[in-house]
Amino acid sequence: MSQPGIQISDLSVEFAGGDADPVTAVSGVSQEIDAHRFVSIVGPSGCGKSTLLNVVAGLQQPTAGSIMIDGKPVTGPDRRIGLVFQEDSTLPWKTTTDNVAFGMRILGVAKRDQQRRAQEMIDLVGLQGFEQSYPAMLSGGMRQRVALARTLAQQPSVLLMDEPFAALDQQTRILLGAEVRRIWRQTKQTVLFVTHDLSEAILMSQQVWVMSYRPGRIIDVIDVDLPDDRDASVVSTPAFNELQNRIWSTLQQEAMRGFVAESTAA
Amino acid sequence: MTAASVHTRRRPRINVPAGSFLLLLLVILLWWLAAQLSFVIPTPADTVGALVSNFGDADYRRHVEATAAAVLVAFLVAGLLGVLLGLALGLSKWVRIIFEPLVVGFNGVPKIVLYPVLLPIFSLSGSKIVMGVLFGLFPILINVAAGIRDMPAVYWKLARSVNANWWQVLTQIIVPAIRRPLLTGVRLAASLSAVGVVLAEFFSTRFGLGRVVLRAYGNGNYPDMMATILLLISVAFIVSLLLWRWERKTR
Repeated sequence: MSQPGIQISDLSVEFAGGDADPVTAVSGVSQEIDAHRFVSIVGPSGCGKSTLLNVVAGLQQPTAGSIMIDGKPVTGPDRRIGLVFQEDSTLPWKTTTDNVAFGMRILGVAKRDQQRRAQEMIDLVGLQGFEQSYPAMLSGGMRQRVALARTLAQQPSVLLMDEPFAALDQQTRILLGAEVRRIWRQTKQTVLFVTHDLSEAILMSQQVWVMSYRPGRIIDVIDVDLPDDRDASVVSTPAFNELQNRIWSTLQQEAMRGFVAESTAA
Repeated sequence: MTAASVHTRRRPRINVPAGSFLLLLLVILLWWLAAQLSFVIPTPADTVGALVSNFGDADYRRHVEATAAAVLVAFLVAGLLGVLLGLALGLSKWVRIIFEPLVVGFNGVPKIVLYPVLLPIFSLSGSKIVMGVLFGLFPILINVAAGIRDMPAVYWKLARSVNANWWQVLTQIIVPAIRRPLLTGVRLAASLSAVGVVLAEFFSTRFGLGRVVLRAYGNGNYPDMMATILLLISVAFIVSLLLWRWERKTR
């Protein structure tokens, strides 16, 4: 019997456009993710996937609709929700250990637990030996591991990741992607992962949602039937190709629509 | 180029304290030369002698204390006010739109022209403190506001995502994030508060080193004049240097 993880009901988000017409970023999205599942959202740039994630995170209020996490409504940021950002969010004046403990410190976790849990998370993301390093001494990929460890240390039941590898080079992306999957299989959070990279989405998740260009709707939901212990070599299998072709055929039109809309607007 | 030559080029052995000491010796030598050429300039030895004998005089120490106290109070008030106004200016778009032109404009005003206006309001002892505050306020205010505006936007998102309250945001994120511009502002404020106070003392005060310099000049007592100038320069120089080193050590 599966439990509800994230429930999105009839969600719409509009932005007041200043002098222009209001922009509908997300329109009538209703989706569910069972607890402990890994779901990715792909879509053309400007389609509102980050907006959708921000609303699920409670950082932004929807114009209509609601979000439930573990069966309870989301009214604002809360400790059930862990966020990993696209930008480097490590604090340059803190060591790895202090950065990882930062969220726990704000949330008022007991000092002794902070130290123990920070060390556990540092071990989990593979940063042993860098406990006393400052972000300036770490690579972009390592800093993103620090940010991930900080979020995991808050022990959220839901992990929301907004293009967390976007600022990294290709090789680091692949390695870190595999790490995130390994960690998820250990910690079993419910994950919602936003990306614009098709193969990343397939490689990482159990289900992929395809989002349309504005107004953002979920226009296709694809289950990824690849082995749970897959690694990067799966990209050369026929099953992977078939999934990629199916998603791309839907996404292509939307990407083109977005491209035309953005070029004429500029 | 061979590896060995790269290696030797990378290690120019500069001894910084020794360099500073040599520079100091050079300055003293030039001063001594200037003193030989002009009877108005006392020699380094005469000046230091005058300074030592001055400090034996209770009246002189009273002047030193008056100036030091005024500078300290002016610096603390400028720091507190500058941080508060800088926070308002950096955090609120509306405060910025309304007050930024005022801040930029007033920063360019020669504030000393206000001294005659301050005198009847704040009296002799209060006016020079206000003058020190007016001088020291702007560098802190401007640096704090600019530091906040340069903060990466993701820090705010991070703060919101963990539900940080305003005190946590201030102490755990804003203050450490702007530590370098803040320290630059503190260093500039320390020296400019002293400028404001001493400048005011030149015009009118009961006790203070500005007045001592002016009186020695009037009496033609050049060693005394030079001794007080040396004291002011040395203290300001050392305080600025120490604050600067602290700033550079800050990560």
